[in-house]
Amino acid sequence: MKTRKRLLGWLADAALILYFVFALFPIAWMVILSLKPTNELFSTYFSFSPTLDGYRTVLGDSEGIPFVRFFVNSLVVSVGAVVLSLVVGLPAAYASARWRFKGSENLMFTLLSFRFAPELTVIIPLFVLYQKLGLFDTYVGMIWVLQLVTLPLIVWIMRSYFADLTPELEQAALLDGYTRKQAFFKVALPLVKPGIAAVSLLAFIFAWNNFVFPLILTSNEAQTVTVGALSFLGGDRPKYNLTAAAALVSVVPPLLLALTIQRYLVRGLSFGAVKS
Amino acid sequence: MIRLQGIRKAFGRTTALDGLELDVREGEFFCLLGPSGAGKTTTLKTVAGLEQPDSGTVELDGRDMAGVEPYDRGVAMCFESYALYPHRSAYDNLASPLRSPRHRLPAAEARDRVGAIAELLGIRALLDRPVGQLSNGQRQRVALGRVLVRPARAFLLDEPLSHLDAKLRQQMRAELKAIGAVQHTTTLYVTHDSVEALALGDRIGVIRDGRIVQTGTREEIWYRPCDTEVARAFGRPRINLLPGAVAADGCFRSADGKVELPIGAAASPGTEVLIGVRPRDLALGEGPGHELTGTVYVTEVLGRSVEVTVRLGEQHVSLVAPRADTAGLRPDDPVRLTVRPENLLLFEADRPERPGRRIGQ
Repeated sequence: MKTRKRLLGWLADAALILYFVFALFPIAWMVILSLKPTNELFSTYFSFSPTLDGYRTVLGDSEGIPFVRFFVNSLVVSVGAVVLSLVVGLPAAYASARWRFKGSENLMFTLLSFRFAPELTVIIPLFVLYQKLGLFDTYVGMIWVLQLVTLPLIVWIMRSYFADLTPELEQAALLDGYTRKQAFFKVALPLVKPGIAAVSLLAFIFAWNNFVFPLILTSNEAQTVTVGALSFLGGDRPKYNLTAAAALVSVVPPLLLALTIQRYLVRGLSFGAVKS
Repeated sequence: MIRLQGIRKAFGRTTALDGLELDVREGEFFCLLGPSGAGKTTTLKTVAGLEQPDSGTVELDGRDMAGVEPYDRGVAMCFESYALYPHRSAYDNLASPLRSPRHRLPAAEARDRVGAIAELLGIRALLDRPVGQLSNGQRQRVALGRVLVRPARAFLLDEPLSHLDAKLRQQMRAELKAIGAVQHTTTLYVTHDSVEALALGDRIGVIRDGRIVQTGTREEIWYRPCDTEVARAFGRPRINLLPGAVAADGCFRSADGKVELPIGAAASPGTEVLIGVRPRDLALGEGPGHELTGTVYVTEVLGRSVEVTVRLGEQHVSLVAPRADTAGLRPDDPVRLTVRPENLLLFEADRPERPGRRIGQ
């Protein structure tokens, strides 16, 4: 019995290790690739002399590709999209959780449908519109179009957070002499803070990773890392090491963000599951 | 002063309030008593403006409250769920009304006020704790304190003592009416506990299926219940209700003919009725009033008194007698009971659609 149990344990461990190797292999490969000097990229014999030249090139704006600017663009556009979605989406989520009004369910469903309609279906009309309106290749344009990604996410998730709060808390605030607006800001909003943290992170990652919108709707000024990293593949010889370095650098912000709000994240994801 | 007229409120298909009429006088302590689901909480929330009635009017101090926001009605409410702000300390919860735009007090004054209320409710030592760390009884007292801390046109209290342990509940019940703020503020108090209603209410309203079935002082409710259900709701052990009919000579006769009692009220012969007598109004042995004979079924010591269940023909009645009167009683012993005629209540027989109404004055 005992040996069998131990054997099963080992098997499980082995399976897990196998899965880790499988899951982490692409990342390991990227790391190795990013550390290769350019002249070893296409060598057919084994040679690996690690160098940080790839990172230096990427971050040093040589090769004529302003990667640092792409990086800043990504930050501005993603943060801007999340902030705008929070400003618009939190009141919307609250209203839809608390009140049924005519067409409220249709409105919510329409919002959700932005998420499951492929971006490619709207990209061409959007491209034309953006050209005409002067939104093409601008921050405002990108932040606006990313609302398709971040707003439904924030509204729908926050709606369930607000629905989990008993309305009697805000009712108590109303009877304490606060207005409805104050009840929202002083009672409801602080109680869904963990949810806001979790959903902001998710929305940020989705916005950061978005590829299609910046691909079509930006050219240079507002281009983001996802598209920018590909620039290194152009030219006479694709520089995979630079693309790998750029991709790895672009992973840093979401990763840092996730680590800093991890505390909220666990609480946020389990919020509402247990009633006090 | 609170006046509700013809209030109707439905949630989807269920009717919560069905033409409710309620009149609470200025400065009165009014208890609303009813089983769960009778519409008690909905009534309070309608007064507070948290629920909009489908029809009917709510008046506070003579002013129609239609379209008036809850924060402009000037009422304070204690929720059965406490509805404390979980992210704040007990102190901040208590101080919340005093920091709001409508009831704002200077910080020092607010501190004194919160301290005084906390002292009154015995929660002074808990003020710094987050409410999440308090027991249910402590939370309930914080919730009550949040109501009492501020001036109000009316206090609306939704089962504010239900989660206290028995001893504390009794103590708080005694103290609640002595609190100055409660004494001079109109109070609408909701409970499902008839003892609480009798102990606290200047007047009591009995609510059932979204309607007030009887309003009155505790004496009126106790001695002149409007129907068998109200009679059953008050008093433990419960009122004895013997089924029978009005005989040709105008007397009450039980179905098996073993119990016969003269009745004062006018009821036509042949009417199916229930005759009610409270356990404490039945006496053992000789005495003034009507006499009944039966045999002892079981006795149960309640402390200073004894509950005796007596078999009268096929019926059982319970009575509460002083211990001295019950010494030596064994099951199957024959006993004599007396009841004063003024303690007899006559009701129509219960029907499936409604409990039997009281007959007579």
